[in-house]
Amino acid sequence: MRVLAIHPEKCTGCLRCELACSYVQTGEFQPAKSVIRVSPFEGHTSYAPYTCTQCAEGWCMTACPVGAITINAAGAKDVLDDRCVGCKLCTIACPYGTMFYDPGTRKAFKCNLCGGAPACAEACPTAAITYEETWTGDWLGDFAHERTARILEIR
Amino acid sequence: MAQRHLIIGGGTAGINAIRTIREEERERSEIALVAAERPYSRMVLPYYLDRSIAESHVYTATPRVLADWGVTSRIGRRATALDTQAGVCTLDDGTTLEYDDCLIATGSSAVRAPVPGADGRAVHSFWTLEEARAVLAGIRPRSHVVLVGAGFIAFTILNSILSLGARLTIVEVAPRILPRMIDDTGAGLVARWLADHGVTVRTGVTLTRIEDAKGGKRLVFASGAPLACDLVIMATGITTNLEWLQGSGVGVNRGVVVDEHLRSSVPSVYAAGDVAEGRDRISGEAAVHAIEPTAQEHGRVAGANMAGKDVRYRGSVLINIVEVCHLDVASFGAWDDPKAEAASGLMADRPAYRKLLWRGDRLTGAIILGPSSDIWTTNDVGMLKGLVQSGVALGRFKAHLMAQPFDVKPAFIASRTTSRLLDETILGRPAKAPGDTPVAV
Amino acid sequence: MTPVTANAPKPSKTKKAPEPAVALPGGYAGKLLRVDLTTRKCWAEPWGSRMRELLGGAGLGAMLLYRETAKRGGKGNVAWDDPDNRLVLATGPLAGLPVWGTGGLTVCTIGAGTNGPTSTQANGFFGTNLKYSGWDAIVVQGQARDWVYLYINDDTVELRDAKFLVGKDTWETQDALCRVTGLAGHQLSVYSIGPAGEHLVRFAAIQGDYGHVASKNGTGAVMGKKRLKAVAIVRGTKALRAVDPRGVLQAADDIAHDLRTDPSARSLYEYGTLPGVGNLSKLGVLPIRNYTTNLTANVPGADMADWEAPRLRANFDHRGHQCNACGMHHCHMSVIQKGAHKGRIVDEPEYEGWSGCGWQIGAVDRDGIAWLATECDRACVDVNEFGWITGWVMECMEKGYITRAQLGFDLTWGDIPGAGRLLRMISRREGFGAVLAEGVKRAAEQLGSPAKDCAVYIVKGATPRGHDHRGRWDEMLDTCTSSTATMETGNPVHPTEVGQPARINIFDGVQVAKNVAGLAGRRSFEDSLGICIFTTRTRLENVCRALGAATGWTFTVDEAIRFGRRTAAINRATALRCGHAGALEYPSVRYGSTPVDGPAKGQAVRDQWETMLDTWYAEVGYDRKTGKPWPKTLKALGLDWLARDLWGKKA
Ligand SMILES: Cc1cc2nc3c(=O)[nH]c(=O)nc-3n(C[C@H](O)[C@H](O)[C@H](O)COP(=O)(O)OP(=O)(O)OC[C@H]3O[C@@H](n4cnc5c(N)ncnc54)[C@H](O)[C@@H]3O)c2cc1C
Ligand code: SF4
Ligand code: SF4
Ligand code: SF4
Repeated sequence: MRVLAIHPEKCTGCLRCELACSYVQTGEFQPAKSVIRVSPFEGHTSYAPYTCTQCAEGWCMTACPVGAITINAAGAKDVLDDRCVGCKLCTIACPYGTMFYDPGTRKAFKCNLCGGAPACAEACPTAAITYEETWTGDWLGDFAHERTARILEIR
Repeated sequence: MAQRHLIIGGGTAGINAIRTIREEERERSEIALVAAERPYSRMVLPYYLDRSIAESHVYTATPRVLADWGVTSRIGRRATALDTQAGVCTLDDGTTLEYDDCLIATGSSAVRAPVPGADGRAVHSFWTLEEARAVLAGIRPRSHVVLVGAGFIAFTILNSILSLGARLTIVEVAPRILPRMIDDTGAGLVARWLADHGVTVRTGVTLTRIEDAKGGKRLVFASGAPLACDLVIMATGITTNLEWLQGSGVGVNRGVVVDEHLRSSVPSVYAAGDVAEGRDRISGEAAVHAIEPTAQEHGRVAGANMAGKDVRYRGSVLINIVEVCHLDVASFGAWDDPKAEAASGLMADRPAYRKLLWRGDRLTGAIILGPSSDIWTTNDVGMLKGLVQSGVALGRFKAHLMAQPFDVKPAFIASRTTSRLLDETILGRPAKAPGDTPVAV
Repeated sequence: MTPVTANAPKPSKTKKAPEPAVALPGGYAGKLLRVDLTTRKCWAEPWGSRMRELLGGAGLGAMLLYRETAKRGGKGNVAWDDPDNRLVLATGPLAGLPVWGTGGLTVCTIGAGTNGPTSTQANGFFGTNLKYSGWDAIVVQGQARDWVYLYINDDTVELRDAKFLVGKDTWETQDALCRVTGLAGHQLSVYSIGPAGEHLVRFAAIQGDYGHVASKNGTGAVMGKKRLKAVAIVRGTKALRAVDPRGVLQAADDIAHDLRTDPSARSLYEYGTLPGVGNLSKLGVLPIRNYTTNLTANVPGADMADWEAPRLRANFDHRGHQCNACGMHHCHMSVIQKGAHKGRIVDEPEYEGWSGCGWQIGAVDRDGIAWLATECDRACVDVNEFGWITGWVMECMEKGYITRAQLGFDLTWGDIPGAGRLLRMISRREGFGAVLAEGVKRAAEQLGSPAKDCAVYIVKGATPRGHDHRGRWDEMLDTCTSSTATMETGNPVHPTEVGQPARINIFDGVQVAKNVAGLAGRRSFEDSLGICIFTTRTRLENVCRALGAATGWTFTVDEAIRFGRRTAAINRATALRCGHAGALEYPSVRYGSTPVDGPAKGQAVRDQWETMLDTWYAEVGYDRKTGKPWPKTLKALGLDWLARDLWGKKA
């Protein structure tokens, strides 16, 4: 399966991925609704985007009481809007924090790999996000580990 | 391998077990289902109540789906006795069903406060579809509804009642709301939030009786003014549906005691969901977790084992979330562990609240409150669950999180929690999408 | 302190017919946020139908200053420290969209340096966060009794107690606000002042998002005078609509392509302004030791190989720190790898940092310069003027015009710790620092000749950017004639697109003046869009296309230039009201002197200055004697009302 591979050392924190994501997902530029989120590390010197890994368990999918989360053609877990009742169980079931809820529509939403053409990867000016045939992984762990060490030392 | 499976109870646990059996079995088996009600999801009843979904939406397995799965179902029938020696279950119409193994998934029922008038006209519980229908029929715009009990279930229907245009008062015997879901500080924030949204909360009041009063109802308390209203909903607690198991020889404590395979004291009998007393993943102790995710995981693990797999369950994590007028309130794990080390952070203006509980350098429990529109809060909600679930050692990040409970993301990511979680699945394989369960094996 | 919400009713001053409701063009949030610090009121003001006329940023700011800073009842303009002065923090229609470098903030105010209008740009995420909170600009007036900071989170707008922030530098202020709000990264954009702003240093800047500075003309002092310590904006949750979102993305791609591939932008794309030192030193435009030489070899320890961009960057552990949606390899954070400040996180200095905190003061220790430049940002001191002041003090001490007794210690060329000490004295107005805090011009005038003759400044009170403009006459002319206390026309970008020659003789005053006049307009237009000055180094046509796709207007290059010139004319009118007559449009003795060595040796700008002014005035259509734009110029720009204001019946 093709997944979003994240290369955090290339990320500059420009948040263009968030803009692109929200546009494709909602039709408007609204980073508050982006399902890829860029986090800062080491006091604003380092950034990295973070999104659903399309994990094997699919905690969101198995938790949903009405079967509103399914697997789409791109292999991504995807919310069926007309099934979702907005109970939020998926948001607390996903242990990665990548399942979201929109109080406006009362629907859950998440990364669905834009159905196979992820907007974030397309938008990233530094190729910090690529869409590749590879195993999904903990893309940020080592990077974040290194980039937070100094902060912890100072503390 | 068992050829005849009997599933007793068609709720979350039961239906997940059936699906999993079909997914996991190598040879086609017989599955019989006995359920007092048609299979539906209780926890979506609040959305039926606020009319955002139709009644048909609550069903989790229609007769057609059950037929596709090859399930012989006895809907509307109750199991009344279990002969574990003979492998026979007796139903309320006197018929019997034989099985090679069976799953007890009878869930729980609502209990009403034992006061005079508790079973009177216009007094309801809110646990079953039938009760939901009755409540829906009884509420008119501008009705005054009193919720007796300020626990989790009461809060799941609070938004729905308000959105029907009703006026709402909550009365609670405990000195505060949500006693079994969040701590005092969190409860205080929610109480203030409710007041700001026009919901009256009376805590620390003991209901003594419910009377009829000119067209409506009157609630009388041990002290303080009585309360007039149009409709009463009792959300005063639940009890596990165990009584029919008397004499079956199945070991029972607060629920049916099960091992890591979800097997009871009788090897051919499994139990799952609200009715089961399984393992709490955080404390390692036996516990009844009457929540949906536990029912689902129990049901799938039990189903896999009934299908001949050897799936060990690591225990369930207590997770709860309610939305109160666009304020998300969630708690995880051992959020009320008195022996845990705790740190909290409060932003009263947003409002946002966090409490993190620790054993050593592992996060064992958490409480989080924040605006439901705030995606960053939702981010943290999930990450806190992940930290509690994975039990990852946070090392130096503990001090960081103690000082800055709002800065969860770097801690989660830098402690490589993702890599710890990625390997974990409930059944030892990727989950299948809801529609992907084989219908004809 | 009681919070106020933005929903307080607008105090009705004049009774005008309500503006007709107009559909909101794409790209706009649709509201201005008005903040009165005296009355502690905040309210929303609809933009109405003025968007196409004013765009945002510099255009909006110029009009607000012109309309709202005239002295009540009398002639003249309110001074920078008057409560009636406006501090306009404006974005524009492209801010927050996925065009590169669109976090834009343009600060417009009556500045403390020249006591005249200013338009100065910074980037980061100010514009993004503000617009996603639902606001296009903040207009601050009045003066708070106690220190406050402005907190914006969607519709929640509050003036909050800032006592706990007083004394903190700008980075500490942002850290502290992140802590109290529980937000991190670009979730919170903070623009604030450090000690220099609190102490009303005349070249105090407004600094934000760790390294972005609205540096010109003492905007930080204005903020300090208003006792507004910071503006903290949560990344809002609202949506921005573009009329043609695909068109915005396409224009963004075209702009990105130009930036990546066009020779005029490519090095900027790869290394930001780092190559400046090497390149400009070859033209005699790098200021070295306060304009006393143009030979890098005259600075002990200088090895120009160290100043090639890749090596300069490799000296640090550097990390990208881009502004909204930007793909330039420009803004960076660095970690110092060795020496006294090892392990320190600094903002990778811009060219102006390397010059102001480096070459201009005779320093070439790259780690030390990076530290000092960041200290300037943190104190909120304009790094350019800090360079002019420090280099001047160093030279004056060397020559005995300023004594150790006066300053309190010896400060010699290249002494970075000493310069750091001077910075602290200036930003807190300690000892001789109080004199220097008045800025180069006032300090020089206070000391008088011969010290005065060594100082680099514009007679108006402004200072140049960090170059030696004796080798770059266009910018000297632009800076001196500008109504915004910094360059107003800007450097040529694809000049042929607006009918200007690709190349001119840079030491021919007439050609230079014609060129400066001919390029006028573009810069003020770009500065009105909420986009970075660097990411608009593409064909103007691309920028217009992005604007059109966002807003739905057909905006031609012609209209863009006209718009910019209109903005300049309005600023000019305000500047005149502030008393900025033609007599002030001169370089100081040193600034306008003739280089004694280096590539521009012997090129005497002063000999041609009057001709340059004459030519420039004629070409832009302004009156040389009064400084006013001629009525016909104004009318051609559609500013008939301004012609009447400036010329009365004669118009
Ligand atoms: C209003 C409401 C809101 C809720 N919200 C949430 C929430 O937000 N999050 C959450 O985690 N949980 C929530 N819950 C709880 C959740 O619904 C239960 O934990 C879950 O349904 C338990 O599943 P179960 O399969 O164990 O039992 P149930 O779903 O209760 O199913 C039990 C089944 O057994 C049948 N049965 C009972 N006795 C017999 C018998 N003797 N013979 C045959 N059949 C029998 C019943 O008819 C039913 O089909 C909510 C519950 C309610 C009522
Ligand atoms: S919010 Fe929607 S998708 Fe998520 S669990 Fe509930 S119904 Fe399913
Ligand atoms: S949202 Fe969470 S649980 Fe669902 S697939 Fe993605 S990572 Fe897994
Ligand atoms: S677009 Fe790329 S560089 Fe920018 S924040 Fe996203 S991942 Fe980082």
